[in-house]
Amino acid sequence: MAILEVKGLTKRYPSFLLDGVTFSMEKGRIMGLIGRNGAGKTTTLKSIFNLVHPDGGEVRIFGLEMPEEEREIKQRIGYAGGAVDFYSRKKLSQIVEVTKQFYDNWDDDACRKYLDAFSLDANKTPKELSEGMRVKFSLTLALSHRAELLILDEPTSGLDPVSRSELLDAFLFLKKKGVSILFSTHITSDLEKCADDITYIAKGQVIASQSLSSFMAENAAAGNGDTLEEIMVHYEKESLYEKLADERV
Amino acid sequence: MKSLLMKEFKLAASPLAYIFLAGALMTLLPGYPILMSAFFICFGIFHSFQNAREVNDVLYTVLLPVKKSDFVKAKYAFTCAIQLCGFVLCAALTAMRMTALSTAAPYVSNALMNATPVYLAFVLLIFAAFNALFVGGFFKTAYKIGIPFLSFGIAALLLISLAETLPHLPGLTFLHNPAGERLGLQMMILAAAALVYAALTAIACKKAEKRFEVIDL
Repeated sequence: MAILEVKGLTKRYPSFLLDGVTFSMEKGRIMGLIGRNGAGKTTTLKSIFNLVHPDGGEVRIFGLEMPEEEREIKQRIGYAGGAVDFYSRKKLSQIVEVTKQFYDNWDDDACRKYLDAFSLDANKTPKELSEGMRVKFSLTLALSHRAELLILDEPTSGLDPVSRSELLDAFLFLKKKGVSILFSTHITSDLEKCADDITYIAKGQVIASQSLSSFMAENAAAGNGDTLEEIMVHYEKESLYEKLADERV
Repeated sequence: MKSLLMKEFKLAASPLAYIFLAGALMTLLPGYPILMSAFFICFGIFHSFQNAREVNDVLYTVLLPVKKSDFVKAKYAFTCAIQLCGFVLCAALTAMRMTALSTAAPYVSNALMNATPVYLAFVLLIFAAFNALFVGGFFKTAYKIGIPFLSFGIAALLLISLAETLPHLPGLTFLHNPAGERLGLQMMILAAAALVYAALTAIACKKAEKRFEVIDL
């Protein structure tokens, strides 16, 4: 069953067009939203979450319409734009205490468990945490209200290799618990380590949305590269070449 | 709504919002434009909005399972709660000046506005201007605070100038009288200002809800 369905998502900016983005995601899977900087990943995620208002398209999460059933959807979903960067001078315990008031399914035991597992000191403030620890705090908040779907915007960018590896391990653990994860990244090795599916966005358009294994196999057969990085460089370099060629004309 | 209001006080509010409530003490200053008290109370609230912007309060809140319109209502509820505290302090000090301190020499010979119900009416009008121009203006973008505060500052200056000028016009000296001259009329002016405050705040809140609903974050 599709836990997330995005159809024809369009958002027009003066210098950018998110052009009919369409993909779907199954329950219990990890999907990577990949593309170079400025490709439209963040706009896609923000549109899904109704942080920006799409000019067209439909978003259904858990079979419910967004934004019509936004409140119910948000009870079951967690969104983090990377590391926690709100209330930097408040203690984590204060942020938790306020956040829990908004969720019907808040689980204090789970919250304590994730704080312990991620070695987060509730008496510290986000300002005192490293980038990696702040991402983990974002995850703790999302998981403590038993989010079934996590939508994460570049959660691994800015992290050192060890923190990145730990975070990806956490994703795999959460997947085993039945949590679905959609995360954007331009770091191809993150996807190779944990993603089941991939949605590739270039210049605001989806150029592939399928299982990672089939995407790799098809591109290898077409001679586009044997690794995700090679494939990505193949697509993006080609478009740069065309652009330069146009300028010469 | 209750949870959002709690969030305003526990996470988003700047301590300056509470500290600047002490601006109400200006009500006691003789030879001073005491309506600056209302301006400073609003200045404290402005700092809360500035603090909230810097700690990404808007993004945190819209990710919660709440209606965007409730977020706007909570901001207005917080603003009104601080203003109410400021008003109560100003009213208590006004009552003190009109009774126990009514014959105190500095107040009797005071050339500027005295603390009267009309003073309290203008406090409410300045608060109303803040709610319409600053808070309403903030929700056009949910991050720009400079121009909305400048608009409010100009409106507050005009209201303070008007309040200081009116008692010097023929037939309006009673507005300035601390001994309770035409107290009934002064109280009616206060009641009218309270209505203007309530109406303007409600209209500004509704308009801000609509503005906030359509902006991209």
